[in-house]
Amino acid sequence: MDHLKVLFVDDEEELVSAVVERLDLRGIDAVGVTSGDEALHRLRGGSFDVVVIDVKMPGIGGIEVLRTINRRHPEVKVILMTGHGSAEDSEIGRRLGAVAYLQKPVDLEDLLMTIKQASNRGEGDHADE
Amino acid sequence: MPMSDEPQRRLEREGALFFGSVGAGLSHELSNVFNIINELSGLQQDILAGAAQDGTAGLGRVADLATRIKTQVIRGEEINRCLHHLSHTVDKEETTFDLGEKLALLGSLAARAARLAEVELRVRSPESPIVHLGDPFALLLALHGCVTTAIKAAVSERRIEIWSESGADGVRVIIRSADPIPQLESDTPTAAAIDAGCAALSVVPRIEPASEGGHRIVLALSGVSTEMA
Repeated sequence: MDHLKVLFVDDEEELVSAVVERLDLRGIDAVGVTSGDEALHRLRGGSFDVVVIDVKMPGIGGIEVLRTINRRHPEVKVILMTGHGSAEDSEIGRRLGAVAYLQKPVDLEDLLMTIKQASNRGEGDHADE
Repeated sequence: MPMSDEPQRRLEREGALFFGSVGAGLSHELSNVFNIINELSGLQQDILAGAAQDGTAGLGRVADLATRIKTQVIRGEEINRCLHHLSHTVDKEETTFDLGEKLALLGSLAARAARLAEVELRVRSPESPIVHLGDPFALLLALHGCVTTAIKAAVSERRIEIWSESGADGVRVIIRSADPIPQLESDTPTAAAIDAGCAALSVVPRIEPASEGGHRIVLALSGVSTEMA
């Protein structure tokens, strides 16, 4: 059985390291990076089923990465994470086709469930923007 | 001399906005710390659960994770210390304080904004401690507004330095950016904060070209300062 391939993106390196390892222990083929730039670079080089990304990061943030994914990798599902739960960001994320908007701290089992649900959704969930 | 009503109201209003803004930033950083501790401790549990099932030791990893958790706790304590320090700057309108300590606090309060803007922010300690008599909160309000202005304008070289100088004509705080700093636009939240803080301090910030390139904002502090040997 092919494992789900997940790209986890957050500027906190310790968080990325821990979450990736915990996802790996649960049968997810997880890769972690610490910037939006690195995320887009990884997406060019490999295929991922789901991207989990923090909204607010130095440089390119999660919303901007989501817009680029919509253009270049529309088959990839995106889950946004935020530490401050801005209603405006949530609405933007929803309009751009993010499959979920999670508030940190994200419970790992909830994240795992959201990832699996995201990978089971049909095509055409990304809005053009 | 107590301020008249209008400057006092502006200081209180802008001070509340400043507190809200930096408080939210510190809260966000603390949230990150708790999040990391949560995941690292969860990973410890995962490893121990795996060890219970298949007998692999994993104790070395668990110990390593404990060290990483401790690092985050220390980080969280530092953030909390900044919040505590900031909270007490409003205790008295006029008090003696170590200017270097306040500039270090300023650096900590602006660190998140600098990081998000990918700007290198450095605070230089004075060679000798400088004790100043004045309003520490008004000073932080004014300086934070100045640093915020410099960070937003730092789009090329992205380097900012903060330090204080003591001379015959008094003490100055200098914020130097390797990028140009625009003149302060009126009617912006940042300008209002700088205005309110500077009015309380009876100072006027000066933006001037820096000899090494870029610009600097200079605040010549009124009041009594003493450089300690």
